[in-house]
Amino acid sequence: MAVEDSSITSESATVGLPDTLWVHLSLVVSIVLMGAPLLLALLMSTQSTAQIYDVTNLAPGGYALENYQSALFEYDLARYIVNSFVMSIIVVVGKVSLSLLAALAIVYYDFPYKDAIFAFVLLTLLLPVPVRIVPLFELMADLGWANSMLAITGPYIASATAVFLFRQHFLSIPSSLVETARLDGVGPIEFLVDVLVPMSRGMIAGVSVITFVYAWNQYLWPLIVVSDQQKQVVQVGISYLQSASQAGQTQWGLIMAGSILALSVPLVVLVALHRPLLETFALQQK
Amino acid sequence: MVRDIRAFDDSRAAAVFLAPTLAVLVLFLYYPSFETFRLSLYETLLLGQQTTFVGLDNFVTLATSPEYHNSLFVSFAFAAVVVVGSLTIALFVAYQLYRVDKWRSIYLVAAIWPYALPPAVAATVLLFLLHPNLGVITHYIELIPGVEFDWFTNGPLAFGVLAVVAIWKQLGYNIVFLLAALHNVPESLAETSRLDGVGSLTMLREVYVPLISPTLGFLVVMDTIYAFFATFPLVDLMTSGGPNGATNLLIFKLYRDAFEFNSLGLASAESIVLFGIVSILMLAQLKLTGEYAHYGA
Repeated sequence: MAVEDSSITSESATVGLPDTLWVHLSLVVSIVLMGAPLLLALLMSTQSTAQIYDVTNLAPGGYALENYQSALFEYDLARYIVNSFVMSIIVVVGKVSLSLLAALAIVYYDFPYKDAIFAFVLLTLLLPVPVRIVPLFELMADLGWANSMLAITGPYIASATAVFLFRQHFLSIPSSLVETARLDGVGPIEFLVDVLVPMSRGMIAGVSVITFVYAWNQYLWPLIVVSDQQKQVVQVGISYLQSASQAGQTQWGLIMAGSILALSVPLVVLVALHRPLLETFALQQK
Repeated sequence: MVRDIRAFDDSRAAAVFLAPTLAVLVLFLYYPSFETFRLSLYETLLLGQQTTFVGLDNFVTLATSPEYHNSLFVSFAFAAVVVVGSLTIALFVAYQLYRVDKWRSIYLVAAIWPYALPPAVAATVLLFLLHPNLGVITHYIELIPGVEFDWFTNGPLAFGVLAVVAIWKQLGYNIVFLLAALHNVPESLAETSRLDGVGSLTMLREVYVPLISPTLGFLVVMDTIYAFFATFPLVDLMTSGGPNGATNLLIFKLYRDAFEFNSLGLASAESIVLFGIVSILMLAQLKLTGEYAHYGA
């Protein structure tokens, strides 16, 4: 690669290390520092409350099963995780489908005010939830959607970013393909499903990861619009855990177990799909 | 601009395909946003049951409220610290990832995972690990003679702790973008600007940073928006805006004014201010990326 040539190093001269070793060393240190809080949380999630209150005790505690079971079933985290999962899947499927259709219309059709409509979609980037939070809350109440899955998914299933990314991708697909499809008399939905979707797999996977993580990590909006604990998502659910205490001592082991659980799902999704995510991000900056 | 491929002619079909997206955007984005403007001109009483038109009074209230001035100051300071901190660390890590000769994909996943880290989890974990009485990290920090790490009562410390959490969570996102930008730098450009005997960090500063400046500009904007909007869970779970308003970010104040104190008109005016901030940032980004584009679009 670019700068590995050892003739151009001087840090190495100052530190007394070959350049490649310095690269590896700094990466290992950075990664350990970034991961340390998580590893400590994982460790503490195996400790009993008494062990936790013995602050310098960093040995695995043997209470993992109790903590995770209690978090999942006594404190209902299992239910919140299911709620979060259903919400995130609805948002991913809804956003991807709606945005594919919108991009199909924008790229492959000619209609009046096309640029204006595209701008109308893009301008919603200026309207994050906090800009419209009070009326949105009132709207949900008026619609009778408070405490429902509709309330925590509906506002998220259309997206300027997803439409933009799919549009960019469609524009890069050779127009000869379009000509062939046109001559063969292929209909638009068939064209989308049989030609565009297979050619956009990476992009769809990338948008799906971004959307899944984004939906899973929502906190403010569910906190406001869901007051029925049974319907709550896991991010707000872990704040319910903080009231968990025993003989006046907060059960931090249990809370750490809940935190690890709330992180595990998006983490698995990210690790599994990090390639398409990286490719999508790379395209976003062009 | 838009390259017309025009595979299909029936513009009614196009309307059908666009309708779901437009319907959601109108109902859940545009309509409530316009309502926010309208509501900001009213005073609401009795849980929103009674509203009185007050013109720009809510904005006057904000402009003359020391508490709101404090939130503005805290939010901008917080954004500055988070943007500089997160971008500096991410730039260093991304550069090393770009240069590393082996195990790149393992390092990569180990460096970008905070992208998936939920802010509420980041807040809960560090609330415990940095807890003034129980936190193991606090214990070791306080081994330094004379250091008392009680951020529950010390405003600047609480601000610092919150910034650390926000920076930590944002590293994954920044590293992903910066690494992609570094890979987009044409080899030959870096080659010609390479100065003999220059250290790798000098190379980063003198050669790569100017070349990836459009991405840096983009990230400054995205991270600022993140610091303003996505950090609500950190404040809510760690400090509740305290001590003494030291972490009372605009987004948290807005939440309390709206949903704890039911001042819906005032909260709407606060939303409008946030809208102004987002708009300026987005325009700045468009302008910046246009002006500093060093390599192909």
